[in-house]
Amino acid sequence: MLVFAISDKGGTGRSVTGTNIVYRHALQGNDVCYLDFDFGSPTAGAIFSVSAVARGTRENGLHHYLRGECPQPRRVDVWAESDREGLRARPPGAGRLVLLPGSEGGGELSALTDEVVGRCVQLLGRLDEEFDLCVVDVSAGRSFTAELVLAATVRMPAIPFRWLVFHRWTRQHIIAADGLVTGADGLLDVGTRFGHDPEDLRDRIRFVRTAVLEPDAAELVGLRDEQRAWLSACDSELRELAGRHGVGRTAMLGKIPLDPVLQWREQLITDEDVLASKIANAETAAAFDDLAKKIVDDSAWEGL
Amino acid sequence: MLVMGEVHTGLLQNSGEISESTCRQVLGLMTGETVRVSRRPIVHALSPERLTGVDCALPTASRSRVRGVGTVVSRCAVTGGRVAQGSSYVRLVRSEADRRLPWSHYLARPGVVEVLGKAKAADLAEGFTGDSAPGCLNLGAVSGRFLDLVQASPLLDRRAPFKIPRTSLRWVAETGEPSIRFTLHTEQERTLRLTHPGPFTPAVVDLCEDLATHDWLLTSLLVIVERARIGGTPGAQAAARLAPAIDHLMHLWMPAARVEEWLTPFWESLERRPGFTRQWRSLVDRVRDQVAMNALALLSATAEAGRR
Repeated sequence: MLVFAISDKGGTGRSVTGTNIVYRHALQGNDVCYLDFDFGSPTAGAIFSVSAVARGTRENGLHHYLRGECPQPRRVDVWAESDREGLRARPPGAGRLVLLPGSEGGGELSALTDEVVGRCVQLLGRLDEEFDLCVVDVSAGRSFTAELVLAATVRMPAIPFRWLVFHRWTRQHIIAADGLVTGADGLLDVGTRFGHDPEDLRDRIRFVRTAVLEPDAAELVGLRDEQRAWLSACDSELRELAGRHGVGRTAMLGKIPLDPVLQWREQLITDEDVLASKIANAETAAAFDDLAKKIVDDSAWEGL
Repeated sequence: MLVMGEVHTGLLQNSGEISESTCRQVLGLMTGETVRVSRRPIVHALSPERLTGVDCALPTASRSRVRGVGTVVSRCAVTGGRVAQGSSYVRLVRSEADRRLPWSHYLARPGVVEVLGKAKAADLAEGFTGDSAPGCLNLGAVSGRFLDLVQASPLLDRRAPFKIPRTSLRWVAETGEPSIRFTLHTEQERTLRLTHPGPFTPAVVDLCEDLATHDWLLTSLLVIVERARIGGTPGAQAAARLAPAIDHLMHLWMPAARVEEWLTPFWESLERRPGFTRQWRSLVDRVRDQVAMNALALLSATAEAGRR
């Protein structure tokens, strides 16, 4: 299963949610890998706490590979190479957790050639042979990278793939997320141009809401009644807006609650963060765990 | 001087094993040339050979610059309709010229790479089996590409029953006093140093491919048994996780089936140490015992329910 993670804007928590999903999926006993295709700022290494590739790798990064500069991209075994003590030992029953870092200072792809698409097809095909789940961080907005994976997946009709569109729970983000999928030069538009069936592609896209503050959340206990009423009104307004833009409940795969840890530092939320040091909320870890299950659960992906 | 090659082995990306006739189509990389199939003791299909022209640096342990020009021979194989391989090799020969000759010269010598400049066989052998140096002849890249070709065949449904990594076996063969050394490096990389009596023949390549197939089978069965977490999970769950091994791998063990008589002593020596078949048998017994135990538990649970 290939999963492409994209967001309408930067700062939506796409990378931190994507990495936490693969981490949870590995803990659930699957072999997983994470590909940092965010060529503008490859920072997945930092989230996995692998300092050697915190800002990408100098040699054999994904960017080098796609440009044909190395035969295979570098692989980082997170269980072996993470600097974080809680990650350095593979928990019993967990699967492999592999990061393919981007190239340090690689820059965005400047053009989409047949060779680049061919290399992408080869890479994704090989990874699909050995990993249960490959999450590809496609970066924010419309980019050559998004076009690259749309072009590549047309050439691999037998390999299952899905798209996750991350957005925050605000007016602008809801409208932009819809635009990224259905707007001009959006995913459906470009995908159809490359030869995808628009209906089929639409069924492979789901939305994930990030940094969501529920009106009944524990964090809001100290608020005045007027503030709470205002928030609740905003929330129902947003729900109505989301429904109109096709970003509503039916098209949503999951939502990640606002968590102070993720606001301050992009990192994996381990069970230790929840149970021992108690810096993270149990709801956040549960939301990641739930998403990691739903991502491969066909019943959550039935046609809209 | 010496012969070196690399074999990549992986699970054929199909839900079930494929028939002999599908094997022929999948491996028919070149029109007009036939796929060779042997049926006993296990169906083995071998594609026609293809050449790749190379003119590049050769890996050396001393990092001295040695240039090689010629062609790489590659082929694909499918064993038991289930295990796919991409395999490439070159025969290194000292060049009589001190410059590159017209391509017709190299095309008349398929699979030969002529070495320009001073080079010692031992240095090249060490270099090839050591850490791969960037910019040098990379037979693994060629073999990987040929394996991709098989896996991307439109005749395969790509719904493999389980995910499993490919393994690579890099080998070097020389003429001399017989010896064999098989080394495991990372989880997926292996090297083989072989010294055989008499001149090189393609039978040596068959031996290396046969070893690669069995090493992959053993590696994959180990992975499946590890994933089952016997003892750490309920018996029924462990047995369910072992099922793919029974369905798809356990009947494929046929060591030295395609190895010529004069090379079988090499297989036999590996059977003594480290003992491939010994480990395989113990794993297979373990899998069967787990499944039998689980069946017993189910039976007694049913009987219990019947009495109530």
